[in-house]
Amino acid sequence: MKDDRLSRLRKGRGEIANHVIDEYAAGRISRRDFIRRGSVIGLSMPLLGAIVSACSSSSSTAGPAGSTSAGSSSAAGGGGAPGAMIKAGISTPTAAINPVTVADQGGLDMLAQTGEYLCLSGQDLKLQPVLAESWTPNATSDVWTFKIRTGVKFHDGTPMTADDVVYTYKLQTDPKGKSSALSAFGGVLTPDGVVKKDAATVEFHLAAPNGNFPYLTSSDNYNMIIIPNNYDPAKWEKSFIGTGPFKLGSYTAKSSASFTRNEDYWGTKALPSGTQFTFYDTQAPGILALTSGTVDVLGQFSVAGAEQLLTGGYNIIKLKSSAHRELSMRCDQKPFNDPRVRQAIALSLNRPAITQALFKGYSDVGNDSPFAPVFPSTNTTVAQRAQDVAKAKSLLSAAGYPNGFTTSLVTEDSLEIPQYAQIVVQQAAAIGVKVNLKVEAQSAYYGQATFGQSDWLDGTMSLVDYGHRSVPNVFLTSPLQTTNAKSGTGSWNAAHFANANYDKLVGQYIGASDIATQKSLSGQIETLLLDQTPVIYGYFYNYLTATATGVQGVYPTAIGHLFLDKATK
Amino acid sequence: MTDTTVNPISGPPVGTAAVAPVQAPPARWLLLMRRPTFGIGVVILAFWIVCAIFGGSFAPHSPLAQDLLATNSAPSGAHWFGTDQLGRDVLSRVITGARDILYVAPLATLLGTVLGTALGLVMGYLGGAFDLIASRLVEAVLALPAVIIAFLFIVALGPSTLTLILVIGIIFTPLIARTVRAAVLAERDLDYLPAARLLGEGPAWIMAREILPNVLPAVLVEFTVRLGYAIFTVATLSFLGFGIQPPTPDWGADIYANYAVLPAGYWWDTLFPALAIASLVTAVNLVTDSVEQVANG
Repeated sequence: MKDDRLSRLRKGRGEIANHVIDEYAAGRISRRDFIRRGSVIGLSMPLLGAIVSACSSSSSTAGPAGSTSAGSSSAAGGGGAPGAMIKAGISTPTAAINPVTVADQGGLDMLAQTGEYLCLSGQDLKLQPVLAESWTPNATSDVWTFKIRTGVKFHDGTPMTADDVVYTYKLQTDPKGKSSALSAFGGVLTPDGVVKKDAATVEFHLAAPNGNFPYLTSSDNYNMIIIPNNYDPAKWEKSFIGTGPFKLGSYTAKSSASFTRNEDYWGTKALPSGTQFTFYDTQAPGILALTSGTVDVLGQFSVAGAEQLLTGGYNIIKLKSSAHRELSMRCDQKPFNDPRVRQAIALSLNRPAITQALFKGYSDVGNDSPFAPVFPSTNTTVAQRAQDVAKAKSLLSAAGYPNGFTTSLVTEDSLEIPQYAQIVVQQAAAIGVKVNLKVEAQSAYYGQATFGQSDWLDGTMSLVDYGHRSVPNVFLTSPLQTTNAKSGTGSWNAAHFANANYDKLVGQYIGASDIATQKSLSGQIETLLLDQTPVIYGYFYNYLTATATGVQGVYPTAIGHLFLDKATK
Repeated sequence: MTDTTVNPISGPPVGTAAVAPVQAPPARWLLLMRRPTFGIGVVILAFWIVCAIFGGSFAPHSPLAQDLLATNSAPSGAHWFGTDQLGRDVLSRVITGARDILYVAPLATLLGTVLGTALGLVMGYLGGAFDLIASRLVEAVLALPAVIIAFLFIVALGPSTLTLILVIGIIFTPLIARTVRAAVLAERDLDYLPAARLLGEGPAWIMAREILPNVLPAVLVEFTVRLGYAIFTVATLSFLGFGIQPPTPDWGADIYANYAVLPAGYWWDTLFPALAIASLVTAVNLVTDSVEQVANG
């Protein structure tokens, strides 16, 4: 009976889809992983639900939540009244709100208030269709076909079609352009690979197989809101034109923004009548605004200085994330050209204590690879590295530094990073390594963000922040792949790590579209990185949002979006 | 040997080129010592100087020792001033945090005083076109806020202790030069200068050996006034992240590092370093006021 239903459902699904179905049926991946993988390769939610129920021995097992629209929330509908004006405090956008160049949290948050993506990477890291209705790969995962939703209109009334999608993607993948999305599209997609098949179909021909490509079209790749064909992105800040559930009311740089409900929205209309955003440069005034009732929602806060929010009186939305800090060591220079020295530094750190001190436990411990515990593809069988001062000292001796050495660490003045850096300094001192710390303003630290003109990329030891991604691809490539100016790979490789075996494994990992292969490769990558330790990954902290009690339906994502279309108060 | 004396009737000190016994300084010191505000200021200042030099040996804990599982603990018997975000003892950091500010600020002030006095002497003595041009330049520099000028220098040269000393010293130079110039102008018309010139003394000698001793009280007052400002400037620059690098304890930097946790109720991380700065500036100002009043008779 079960097999009959399953084989009916398998029919005509293609090799990759059936592989995922078989993995799930055989119990090799969890239901959670199955739904996530299925959504990546374009299986619809009803179909996934049917397969889950076909495979389930228990008839009470429900299918996945049926939401297809952005911004559903587990907390929705909790008694608040629709039609409210929701007031939110977020970090100040640092530059003009231009879909091509935005590279900060405040900016991306503004983009997504009125703009929409082809799909949304939800809080559970599952993809939900938005402006794309569905997507499917070819057999080798290097051509992905997206069906574009019909009946969608931009805020000026013009219909959204495949032309707009093609324009947006060609604009954002132009290697000569200045798109922030190039960090994700580099080596994956070029403008020539964006092909319109018909008014509602777009194909993406990739440079190499990529099993996680749909994530690059999702909210994860936050620049990728669809803008009208031939629209000048530099003018976007004047109109905020998009297809989303809110339209621009007003925007005042460095100060505030307001939005009104889009009554012509293609999907479920927004519940609030409008939203107001106030920008805060630092956390403290944002917290005061929330505690005084000036705002209903604080988009993100870090634990330090916000402990009073955690002790009750506020709704805390806690999302596991892959946001982390990378402590890189120059693999091409003494003393860090010896992997034993790099391992020694990593072994000096007491990670559970660090996460407790910096995040009061709202954090996962890192294992010196970008495979955060939140990723389904992370291979959790690889042993966790723990503090071992004696081993660290013996590694230093073996490497020729029995009395330790003096080195320098440069970092940026942002959030908990200076505190983390001081912990590193103190714990390295315990193994005889004297670290001279230099904390710089972010602009000075990043410099030109190119080799030779950036303390971030040139420092002997360098500590930098990385925001959340739903898949580890960007973390695996830009900061760790061998730097090649021509192909653009390894452009953030502050460790100057160059390892052919690593490059090969990452290429294979990115091309793999089934979870078992990914897990096998991630295990090899994790082991290799533990051995080489070009970068120390101390922790992956939770993304925290706070709302006043009575405010429901707020939907943040760990990359920094704050969706308010289902919010009530 | 130049001799200096004070004419109690005409007010300003009068130097004579040849002979006159040294009388005034002891009387002045006595006057100073009799002032209670001077005594209080000196005691506080001495306390911080002792902390700066020997603080490391009597601080209850190492100012760098972290206890990551006891962060932001409130003041208690074990930690009188509580612990900071990394579980470090705030009292120990306040005691040892005196060190940098207490050598950066005086050295910077000394540099500014030496340069400013030299410039002021030349401007006041030579007068003419040099004075005119230099005065306009000085006014131009004074029109800019000191912290902005400091930013420019520190960003250009990179933050370091030496840069701090140089920058603050250079910022104070025109301020001090202007005061010294005014004092020199008052001296210029007095009889001892033509006398010295008739004796064949050159301009450099006259400035250094004849005029300088007579404007020294003004220079001393200026030094003490500027010292208070220098302490505040060092603390401000540290607070803004342009000073001493962590984890070295430093009052301004510690306030900056911890004020973000104030909303969570962790007042001790910030309050105690702030009180330390306040007490040091107050102490210097108490001393300054006394010196100024005694110097002005």
